[in-house]
Amino acid sequence: MSDKNRCVVTGLGLICALGDNVEECWENAVNGISGIRDVTVINTDGCYAKKGAVNDTPDGDLSEENYDRSSLLCIKAAGEALKDAKISPESESGIGVIIGNCVGGAASIDSYYRAVKERGEENVSKEEILKMPASAIANNVSVHYGLKGVTANIVNACAAGTISLSYACDLIRSGEAEVFLAGGSDAFTSLAFAGFHALHALDERPCSPFNRSSGITLGEGAGMLVIESYEHAVQRGARIYCEILGSGVSSDAHHITAPRPDGQGQMSAIRRAVADSGLKPQDIDYINAHGTGTAKNDEAEFLSLHTLFDCSDKLSVSSTKSMTGHCLGAAGSIEAVFTVKALENGIIPPTAGYTVEEKAALEEKAGKIDFVPNESRRKELSYAMSNSFAFGGNNASIIFSREHREIPARESDSPVYITGLGIVSSAADGSDSVKASLTAEDYKTHDIKMAFYRKLDRFSQLQLVSGVRALADAGFKADETNENDIGIIIGTSDGPMTEIVNFQKNVIDHGTNGGSAFSFPNTVYNAAGGYFSIFAGIKGYNVTVANGAQSGLQSVCYAHSVIRSKEESVMVAAGTDENTDVTEYLYGRYGVRTADLPYSEGKGFVLGEGSVSVVLESEEYANKHNSPKYAQIVSWGMAHSPKEYSDQRVDGDTLKKAIGDACKRAGLFLEQISFISGFGCGIKEIDQGELEVYRELFGVNKPLLSVKAATGDARAASASMALAQAAKVLHGDGDIVGKWYQITENGARESEAAEGEYALAVSCGAGGSCSAVIIKRV
Amino acid sequence: MSEKEIAEKIKAMLVENLRIPEDALENDSELFGDDIGLDSIDSIEIIAGIDALFGVQMTGVAKEHFQSINTLTAYVREHMEG
Repeated sequence: MSDKNRCVVTGLGLICALGDNVEECWENAVNGISGIRDVTVINTDGCYAKKGAVNDTPDGDLSEENYDRSSLLCIKAAGEALKDAKISPESESGIGVIIGNCVGGAASIDSYYRAVKERGEENVSKEEILKMPASAIANNVSVHYGLKGVTANIVNACAAGTISLSYACDLIRSGEAEVFLAGGSDAFTSLAFAGFHALHALDERPCSPFNRSSGITLGEGAGMLVIESYEHAVQRGARIYCEILGSGVSSDAHHITAPRPDGQGQMSAIRRAVADSGLKPQDIDYINAHGTGTAKNDEAEFLSLHTLFDCSDKLSVSSTKSMTGHCLGAAGSIEAVFTVKALENGIIPPTAGYTVEEKAALEEKAGKIDFVPNESRRKELSYAMSNSFAFGGNNASIIFSREHREIPARESDSPVYITGLGIVSSAADGSDSVKASLTAEDYKTHDIKMAFYRKLDRFSQLQLVSGVRALADAGFKADETNENDIGIIIGTSDGPMTEIVNFQKNVIDHGTNGGSAFSFPNTVYNAAGGYFSIFAGIKGYNVTVANGAQSGLQSVCYAHSVIRSKEESVMVAAGTDENTDVTEYLYGRYGVRTADLPYSEGKGFVLGEGSVSVVLESEEYANKHNSPKYAQIVSWGMAHSPKEYSDQRVDGDTLKKAIGDACKRAGLFLEQISFISGFGCGIKEIDQGELEVYRELFGVNKPLLSVKAATGDARAASASMALAQAAKVLHGDGDIVGKWYQITENGARESEAAEGEYALAVSCGAGGSCSAVIIKRV
Repeated sequence: MSEKEIAEKIKAMLVENLRIPEDALENDSELFGDDIGLDSIDSIEIIAGIDALFGVQMTGVAKEHFQSINTLTAYVREHMEG
C-alpha cells in the first residue's frame, strides 16, 4: 500500500497547570508533580470542594486579542506546535484547524451577564456576545496565524480533544489538506465547577484516579498537535515524532452523564481503534487512560481494561489527570501530547497521589496491568493509546506508533444515499422571531415518554424529534444486529446556549454552590446527540460540530466521510439550533434580529429555529432494508477563510472553492448543476456576496431555492434544511418548503419552481467556513 | 405555612426546576416510579430546591420521604423551624 494513508505528528504545543510549554509540563509530569491547588480564579464560597488545576498566565499574556480564554489558551499552544514543527504559516497557509472543546465561551458568558447585572447593559459592549459560542474557537486560531485550511470545533465534551485528532487524520487521508493543527482547549470556568459541584462529582482532595476515586479535579489548558501526511512531512524534511495509526469512536446509548457500568461502549471504541490500526490488544504497550477519578468512570474503565488487556503481559496504564486535573475538551489532546512524549522518550508519566497503603491496595487489584503509581516508568514503547470518555456517552480512543506500520485499507467508493428526512421547523410569519412547534403529540407519535423528554432542553428536544422522524422515514430501527453500524453527526451554530446562559445566571445570582444538577448535563453541546443516541439505541460514531450556521451542511460532509471510510454504514447528519428568549435577546442585542427576508437587501434576518436530520446510507445497507432513496450524495467541498467572527461578509473565493471542490470530486461541469439551494438570510452583505459568486460561476437565470424565505434563519438547521428540500425536489415531492428565485444581473427575483438531475446545497457561516454538497436524482 | 401552601410551593419547584408538565403532576403522583420517572440527578435538585424554599436539609434522608409531593410536604412540615 502507498504512503497515502500515513498521518504523522510533527509538532507539539501544551499549556496547562503543569506549565506554559511542552518541556515544562512534561518534566513536571514525569516527576509526578501535580498542578492541583486551591482555586482562586472563581469564587468557591460555600462549596464543599475548592481544588482545581489552573494555569496562572493572564489572558493578555497568552495572546493580544479580545477572545474568550479558551481561544487564547489554544492560540498559545498552537503557536508552540507550529514552531516545534518548524512550519511557517506564511508559506503554509493551507493548514486546517480542528479544535476539541467542551464549555465554549462559558467564562465570557459568565462575565457578560455579571457585567450587565452590575453595570447595566448600556455599559457592556455587544461585541462580548461573539465570545460566547464554541463555534468561534478554531477560526480564532486561524485568524491569529492566517491559516486557510478547513476548520471545525468538535464539541463532544470530554472526548472532544481525542475526536479532533481523529477527524484531522480522516481529512488528511481523504486529501482535504496536507497539514492540520488539531487539539483541544478549555478554560477554567464557574460553569464547569458549579456543574460538577452540583452533581457532587468534585473531589475535596486532589483527584486520585484508580485509587480513592472520590471525584474529579477540574483543570484547564490546551494541547495542540501538528498532524500531517507522511509524504508532506518527508518532503519538507520535518522531524517526525510518531504516526497516528487509527482511532475509534462509539456511543454508550446508556445515560447522559454516567458511563455504562459494564464498559461495553468504552470497549467498543478501544476495539475499533485497535482494529483500525491493524493491531491486537496485546500489541499496546501504554494507555493514557481517561482516569477521571470518579467512582463510576474508574470502575467502568478498570473493567474495560481488564476485559480487553488481561491477555497482555506488558501493559502500563496511567492517568495524567492526577496532575493536570480534568481539562474537559482539552483533556484528550493534552493526554495525546503526553502519550507522544512517552513514545519519544520511552518514559511513562505516573498516576500521582498514592500513599504507601493505597499503593499496596492497588497492587492487590491491578492484576497484570501496571498502573505506574507515583513514579514514572522507563520502558521501550512501540504502540501507545489514549482514551477519552465523555458526557453523553461518547467514547474515543486513538493509537500512536513510534514506527511505521501498514494499516488496513479503509476507503470505499460505494454510493451513499439520502434515505430519510426528519424536519422540525419554524415558519416565517412576518415577525422578527419565529419558533417551531413541538407538542406532547409529537412525542407520543414516536413513543417518547414524558419522563425522558422533560429532562431535555430545547436544543436537545428539537434534535430528538427530528432524529427519530428521520429514522422512521428511512424505515430504520436500531437493534442488536445494527446498533454499531449507525452513527450521528450534529452541526450547530449556538448549541444549548439557553441552558448555558440560564445555568450561568443562576450561578451569578446564587453563587458557585447554586448550580443546577438538573440542567448542567444539558449545557454540553453534545448532550443532544447523547439523548438521541440513548433514545434510538445508536451505538456507533457520535460527534457534534460547532462551526457557525454552515455546520448543518458540514455535518453532512463529515457523515459522508464516515461512511466512505467504512467506519459506519448508516449516519444521521443533522443541523440544529434553538430560538428562545435567550437567543432572541442575544441576536436582538447584536442588532441582526429584524423581519428581513432573504434577497430583500435588509439589515438582519428573521430568527428561526429547528432541527433537520438526514439519514445517509451506503448502497448495500439501503438495499438491505429497502429504504426509499431521495437522492444520492455525489460529493462535497469544504473551505475556510480566516476572518473575524464579527465579519458577516461572504468571502467569494472561499465559497467558490467549496463549490469548485465539490464539482471536481463529482467530475461535474458547473452547467450540469440544475439548481442551487442557498443560504441568503436577509442581511444585504451576505446575500449579495452569495449571489455574486453564483453569477460568476453559473451566469444569470440559474434557479435558486431559499428555505430561509419560508422558515426564517434557523442557522445550522437551515443549512441541513437546504439539502433536505433539494433532495425532495429531486425526488419529485410536492410539498417543498422554500421559495424559488432566479439569479438576475443585480439580485434575485422570485420565479417558478425548478427540477433537474443535480442539485447543489450551499452554506457559509460566521467564522468564515463554507460547505457545499452535490446530490443527484436517483 | 399551611400544608397546602407547602405542597403548592413544592409542586411549582418541581414544575420549574425539573420541567415536569404541571398537568401530569398530582400530589400523590409517584415521583420516582413509572408516573414521573425521576432519577438520582433529580433528587439532588429536589434537595437543593427544598433547602432554598424552606431551609430544610434532606441530604441523606430516607427514600420514602421522596415518594411524592405529599411525603415531601409531610417531611418539610415536620422539620421546618418556626
